[in-house]
Amino acid sequence: MEHVLTLHGELKTNGEKKMGVWIILDTKFVALLILIASFILFYVYMNLAKGGMKIKARTFPAVAAIPEAIGRAAEMGKPVYYSTGLGQSTLNNQLNGPQTLAGISILGYTTRLCAKSGVKITYFTPIADSLPLVEETMRTAYMAEGKPEEFDPAVAINFQQDQSPYLTASLGWIQREKPASTFLLGGFYYEAVVIGEAGNTIGAMQIGGSANTHQLPFLVATCDYTLIMEELYAASAAISGNPDVLGSLKGEDLLKFLVLILIGLGFILALVNNNSLISLLRL
Amino acid sequence: MSQVYKRELVFVVTGVVALVMMLDYFFGKNIPWLSGAGGISGQLQTWALIIQLMAIGLGAINLIQVHYRQISRKTNMAIYSASFMVFFAFLLLLGFYKLATGVELYPYTWIFANVYTSLGATLYAITGFYIFSAAYRAFRARNIDAAILLIGGIFVLLANAPIGEVIWSGFPLIGNWFNNVGQIPGMRTFTVVGALGLLAYGFRALIGKERGFYSEVQ
Amino acid sequence: MSGQDIWDKLQNVDRRVFYWILFIGLTVPFLTPIGLPISVTPSTQAYFDGLKTIEKGEVVVLSINSGVSAWGDCLPAMVTSVHKVYDQGGKLIVWSIGYNDVDITWRKIQEKLPDVFSKWKEGENYVYFGYCPPQETNVALLATNIRAVYTQDVRGVKTGDIPMMKDINGANKIKFVLSSDTGDAQMYYIRQWKNGQVNYEKTGKPPLIAEMGIAMNKSGDMVYFLSGDEFGLVGGSRGAAELEALTGYKGDATTTMDSISVSHVLLVLAIILANIAMVATRGQKK
Repeated sequence: MEHVLTLHGELKTNGEKKMGVWIILDTKFVALLILIASFILFYVYMNLAKGGMKIKARTFPAVAAIPEAIGRAAEMGKPVYYSTGLGQSTLNNQLNGPQTLAGISILGYTTRLCAKSGVKITYFTPIADSLPLVEETMRTAYMAEGKPEEFDPAVAINFQQDQSPYLTASLGWIQREKPASTFLLGGFYYEAVVIGEAGNTIGAMQIGGSANTHQLPFLVATCDYTLIMEELYAASAAISGNPDVLGSLKGEDLLKFLVLILIGLGFILALVNNNSLISLLRL
Repeated sequence: MSQVYKRELVFVVTGVVALVMMLDYFFGKNIPWLSGAGGISGQLQTWALIIQLMAIGLGAINLIQVHYRQISRKTNMAIYSASFMVFFAFLLLLGFYKLATGVELYPYTWIFANVYTSLGATLYAITGFYIFSAAYRAFRARNIDAAILLIGGIFVLLANAPIGEVIWSGFPLIGNWFNNVGQIPGMRTFTVVGALGLLAYGFRALIGKERGFYSEVQ
Repeated sequence: MSGQDIWDKLQNVDRRVFYWILFIGLTVPFLTPIGLPISVTPSTQAYFDGLKTIEKGEVVVLSINSGVSAWGDCLPAMVTSVHKVYDQGGKLIVWSIGYNDVDITWRKIQEKLPDVFSKWKEGENYVYFGYCPPQETNVALLATNIRAVYTQDVRGVKTGDIPMMKDINGANKIKFVLSSDTGDAQMYYIRQWKNGQVNYEKTGKPPLIAEMGIAMNKSGDMVYFLSGDEFGLVGGSRGAAELEALTGYKGDATTTMDSISVSHVLLVLAIILANIAMVATRGQKK
């Protein structure tokens, strides 16, 4: 059923178009309102934070452990393994693309620490369209430490098309090079448990994170520190410490409270068999 | 173009494309120039696909660089890199032959159907062994939370296996309760919270505040 | 290793010992099947009940969104579902959202069902379209205009010229979608088909969605089944074995159930052993 909402607020059904200015929306009207409200909330808090409001983000143990992991690699004289997972082999994926980008953000920070400490880092990926981003990010990290000559894409980046070759290459490299630390941050699939366990076999310190719910148990079981769901997205904000970026985290927290209120309201209405809230949200 | 403009252009393009996709999702149904295969959003999706496929070429170059380095330095992996290069060239030639003539030669299909897919299935099977050793190491009742996890895990394991109900009829009952009721609130929480995190991340990317993924290093 | 007693050693057993025990434990049931009974979970029962509602001539989509590596979990369920669609007199449209080894999977399904495909005629009872890029916009477009995404089938016949596709160009003629996936495709169908604008002509409601997924994803997929977004869920080899038991076509999934029983029992025993060792070590240290 098509809902036609005119600017006068009149609701008609079955696609009767009015002359003049009209907006035709399908069943995503409330979703659009919620999206706009969320964006306004994020924007307000970002500006408040930029204006001086103190925003305290809790420490993510996984993020705090990154320097420790690099330090361990420096002491042991071993390299570091980094991967953002299968990610459905493309950045152009609704769920996995942002996870890969979040992983690449943290890669920049990790690479910079590696460059500072003189630790070799190798990035494994089956995502071809992320290669330019990764190369640029890693190159910038080395340049930021004044060591651009130490960056060699043929050594630092290892690409294999598809999941099985990427997994095989990762396993082989981990068993040969025995990295001191491994980072598994991104959109992982079944390779999470295999690479995680391979890292455990050689006694590596492991930091993992994904927003794929089906891989979280494996990452938690195999990694020393894990970023769970939204923590992966928030980690780059936490690393940067940028106040306006932290402001969006505050807005997100407030949004969670609003969702909790909606859930509570829905629960109470469901107890009395009232579906009005569900119908409203489906508009 | 200076480096600064090049970098800023990436974030501007990111924001514009994100905006177009959002407009398509909400308003595209009846705006043909925006939506559908022929509309702007459809064209952007097609371009993204073309870029993705072109990037495979970049990946191939990276592969060749990595393996050539092994061969030229005569490392202990040189022999494997050399065999990779031989197979790579062979399959590439077969692929070009198919492009030129439209005929798919038997080795091309055989290698994919019988070597690659079999190896892929083997690697997926390895997961079972790795899960076994991971579970052996992880399922330790070090504290009360871990003990509850352990007990729940055992019930779910035995509910999934037919032998569970042979041992005791309570295993499938309790195990399926964990599957169908116990873990659902947690999963839904993950889904909702993950979506909110993604929303905030998307907003930061839209307005150009999320810069870590392209050449801005913290 | 000096100074380590039996309990310390038990906690730090070499992985390779487990791998060998597991390998032997998994192999033996293949050689001497045990044949334990399989009870059916509500999600698989609901899936089967949904398949039983297919009437003669109704069209169902099989969306193969899993690769060859996931054959162990997904293939038996797909084979059984296709067989059931055939039994019910239904018609089948097969395509894939994003998996380029779908040709091999479809060929395997056909090999497993010679009795079905000797009687079914391509273009009249089933049509195979193959791969399309893994984008949600493609799934949205398929709901309203199949010809825009698939201009022809894998034989090169134009979609409009295929006999069974003459009147079919969208979700309005499709009863439901059976999605076999290892990731996100089911969510595309839920968002764009189940919660979309196009209704199935016979029911006046959007087409239903069902999932044949891998065991790893079952806990996540259960959320969609319980919320009513999916009418059925077949989770992993266990779910496929349940479906085979319900339909009466004993296949690969049933054969693997014995191995699954053995491996699960071995794992539980190993975990219990490790915990006994941990408690004993803790007691000694105190």
